[in-house]
Amino acid sequence: MLEDLSVSVAQKLSADDAEELRKPVQLTNTTNTALWVDRYRPKRFTELLGDDRVHREVLAWVKEWDCCVFGKGKARGKKRARGDEDGENLDEWQRPKEKLLLLSGPPGLGKTTLAHIVAQHAGYEVFEINASDARSADVVDQRIRPALESGAKVGSSRPNLVVIDEIDGATGGSDSSGGFIHKLVQLVQERPRKKAKKGEPHPNRPLLRPIICICNDLYAASLTKLRPHARIVRFSRPHDTHIVRRLREICEREGMKADARALATLVGVAQGDFRGCLNTLQMLKARNKDITENMVRSATQGMKEAEASQMTVLNDLFAPISRKRAKELGIREDEVRFVSRLSREVEGCGSMDKVALGCFEHYALLHRHDGTLTRYVKGTEWLCTYDTMSGAMRTDREYSLMPYLAYPLVAFYPLFQERGAQKAERPKADWEHYNQTKTNKEIYESLARCLRTASSRSGGNWRHFALEPLLQLEIAPYINRIISPPLRPVNSQVIRPAEKALLARLVDIMATLDLRFVQEKNEDGQLVYRLDPPIDVFVTYDGKRAADIAVSRYAVRHLVAAEIDAQIIARHADVLEKSKGGKSNFFSGREKPVPDEGQPAKKRAKQDEKPGEKVAVDFFGRPIMPKDKSEQGAKGAKAAPRVKPYRVAYKFNEGNSAAVRRPVKVSAFL
Amino acid sequence: MSLWVDKHRPRSLDDLHYHHGLSARLKALAASGDFPHMLFYGPSGAGKKTRIAGTLLELFGKGAEKIKIDQRVFQTPTKRKLDVNIVQSNYHIEITPSEVGNYDRLVIQDILKEIAQTQQVDLNAKQRFKVVVIHEADALTRDAQAALRRTTEKYMSNMRLILCANSTSKLIAPIRSRCLLMRVAAPNPEEMQTVLDFVAKREGFSIPEDTVKLIAEDSEGNMRKALLVLEALKMQNPDLSASGLSIAKPDWETYCHKVADMIVQEQTPARVMEVRAKLYELLSHCIPPTVVLKTIAEKVVEQVDEALKPDIMHWAAIYEARMRVGNKKIFHLEAWVVKVMSLYKNFFYDIDMDGFDD
Repeated sequence: MLEDLSVSVAQKLSADDAEELRKPVQLTNTTNTALWVDRYRPKRFTELLGDDRVHREVLAWVKEWDCCVFGKGKARGKKRARGDEDGENLDEWQRPKEKLLLLSGPPGLGKTTLAHIVAQHAGYEVFEINASDARSADVVDQRIRPALESGAKVGSSRPNLVVIDEIDGATGGSDSSGGFIHKLVQLVQERPRKKAKKGEPHPNRPLLRPIICICNDLYAASLTKLRPHARIVRFSRPHDTHIVRRLREICEREGMKADARALATLVGVAQGDFRGCLNTLQMLKARNKDITENMVRSATQGMKEAEASQMTVLNDLFAPISRKRAKELGIREDEVRFVSRLSREVEGCGSMDKVALGCFEHYALLHRHDGTLTRYVKGTEWLCTYDTMSGAMRTDREYSLMPYLAYPLVAFYPLFQERGAQKAERPKADWEHYNQTKTNKEIYESLARCLRTASSRSGGNWRHFALEPLLQLEIAPYINRIISPPLRPVNSQVIRPAEKALLARLVDIMATLDLRFVQEKNEDGQLVYRLDPPIDVFVTYDGKRAADIAVSRYAVRHLVAAEIDAQIIARHADVLEKSKGGKSNFFSGREKPVPDEGQPAKKRAKQDEKPGEKVAVDFFGRPIMPKDKSEQGAKGAKAAPRVKPYRVAYKFNEGNSAAVRRPVKVSAFL
Repeated sequence: MSLWVDKHRPRSLDDLHYHHGLSARLKALAASGDFPHMLFYGPSGAGKKTRIAGTLLELFGKGAEKIKIDQRVFQTPTKRKLDVNIVQSNYHIEITPSEVGNYDRLVIQDILKEIAQTQQVDLNAKQRFKVVVIHEADALTRDAQAALRRTTEKYMSNMRLILCANSTSKLIAPIRSRCLLMRVAAPNPEEMQTVLDFVAKREGFSIPEDTVKLIAEDSEGNMRKALLVLEALKMQNPDLSASGLSIAKPDWETYCHKVADMIVQEQTPARVMEVRAKLYELLSHCIPPTVVLKTIAEKVVEQVDEALKPDIMHWAAIYEARMRVGNKKIFHLEAWVVKVMSLYKNFFYDIDMDGFDD
């Protein structure tokens, strides 16, 4: 009984299983479930939609690998067909000059499809890596390299071709040397060493298989390193009529009735995105058979938010909507309402700050008559509002303000839109200003540093000037005047006494502040003296120096520079002497340097010429009292000979000794 | 070697040339043994720091003059390193927390706690407490000022604060109430002239009467500026005769005046663009935008009709306040320029256009 039961249960279960197995098969067979995008994906090279030249270019590049991958036979045939010029492109492994192919273009045009079909067509097996895979640097080593180096996949005799999809999202384009792109570039550049070292288990082999990379944004920051190594193929939007024709074919096959206008509208709204068109069509099909323009409009509400670049947004803000675009969006040209359209566009472009800057740099270039500048006042008012809000958003982290940021910018449309006005340009003045500010800040910083070192040398005298607003407002302009007195270019020996005093003072100030004249060659090859740090930029506005400061001549600067150098050397010597004199002398002014026990013998050697005259001082600079003498003697033999010549001389061996030290009486030696 | 400003800076309270009443009070305070927290305020170049140094000398004797300057590194919670320059002697420490911008709270907390929690080690010291001098106290953020509040009371036995600020308006009331306020007013022209003459005598030359007057008037109560101007003048033409002598304004100021002239001369969008280029130039020389706005506004007001003046100043104040909140200073500067141009045009047409706006 029990056995029967179990058998029947088992049968039932297996029957269920079988049914379940059958079901998905049936489902996939029914035409309803597959995405149209997949169903109507081109299978052959000839079915591809779009510019034939682009397709052929890609195929030609893949074919260039033939002689490297498949051997000589094919290469010869190809060479004959294409002429000799290709010979130069090929290196010792007969590879093309660029080892990568970079396909770029907006989404939905069939880049991935093209890559797959071309690979198939040329006889490769595709190995794909896309955004769903991890794209860290290890992937290159762990997956791409084996794929490239292994002959073929299991079960097929074809060599591999690697397709890296959506590469613009990969890491490591910037300076970091660990990223994916960096690793990939390394892989491409690799040349095998002539002799692999013995220790290395895997000598790096050269890249012998083609790699196709696919991206949307060719100028993404992460791709900068890759671009020089890649042949770049740009996809452009195929002409609308081609897409419409293909869409109509598909509609016919699906048994839908669609008029040409509806389809044209669809393509216009989607801006050439074929995948988007197909998906929309499939969705419409689910509802009814016939397709009209209105239906397309209602179905594509969301699609209008196409990504717009910062420049298109700017131009849309400053120009009324064009007839063509209005038609595409299905609104009347004289449509009054603009706020939602533009605000969505501004938000969509991603960099509102740049749009704001663009507005700022463009609005004053428009010369529509406005007697009292009322419009301009309003425009700037909106900009200020924008800045206040974004400032509050950043500093207080009030990101809930974000949705409102677009509206102040939209306000430029009613104020300044004008048909046929000059086009907005990419804002650049602000960036230039930013760079200029940065360099000037550095110069201020170095001046402040000079002031600080000067103050630490002269007991805190200069320190008050190094504070922020004072430095820019008072000291920078006046120090420039102080250091440029009207000196005549004459030899320092024959100079008048008044001028000599002037020169001495100038040299003193400059030397204290660490300001130098540095000799340099300018672009004409002439020798010039440049101020270093170049604090004269602070009296230079619009590239002109202040009128009341005479530019000192080469000869004068030469004279001053020589004097400064002499001064610095003298001071350096002074400081050395002082430091020998100990700390207490440092503050109490210049005294005669006195020998110091704490100094190493080398430095002291100079002073020891007349040891008798000078007072001996200890480490702290205090004169040593006679009562210390016994202590001194105990300190060591070094000081002893100078005080009084003894007969006895000690000699000891310097260096390490492993000997055991213990007190021993003299009697032990006798 | 140092500039005359430093070389002839009075070291003690007795050497000061003006505000003798103030000096006497400071001396009395220092001698009383019950020294309060203090807040010195007054315009730039009036002599606040000199008086602080004098007070310290009075409190601690010569030891307070032996200073050393070093750089301390602080770390923010986000692991950013901040460099702060510290001037200190055995008895006091001077800091400028505004150097590190928004992180000043950190510096204040660290340094104050450190000072406050250690007692004076030197048994020979005249006072049992140390002094912390905070420069540019009006640039402290709210957080930093709040951090000062409790420490000032809690560690009174070990530490006294001396704040130095240009105006008290940016300090929160609790701080003001904890300190003894000391106003150091700008010297009047006569006082400045005596100082200038004194410096000239010490340097061994004499300045013509007119020149002294000229410098004193030109520097508007800023003693530091007056001395810098004197030294610059002396360097450039050593005889210093008043005839044909012109006092060089700082270049940024001249440039600001140029901008003001441009605004008054012409009011068109093209002129707006020209002014913008000049404003960018000023800002890229790191001149604080509020100073730029103030200087231009003052110069514009000089040149326009009486009826317009209040309006222009009113808007300058409004845009300056907005500028402090915002990020892009140039937007606000230009907004003010456009506003002034519009006001001027409106006034010129003598019509109130407000009703006709579209």
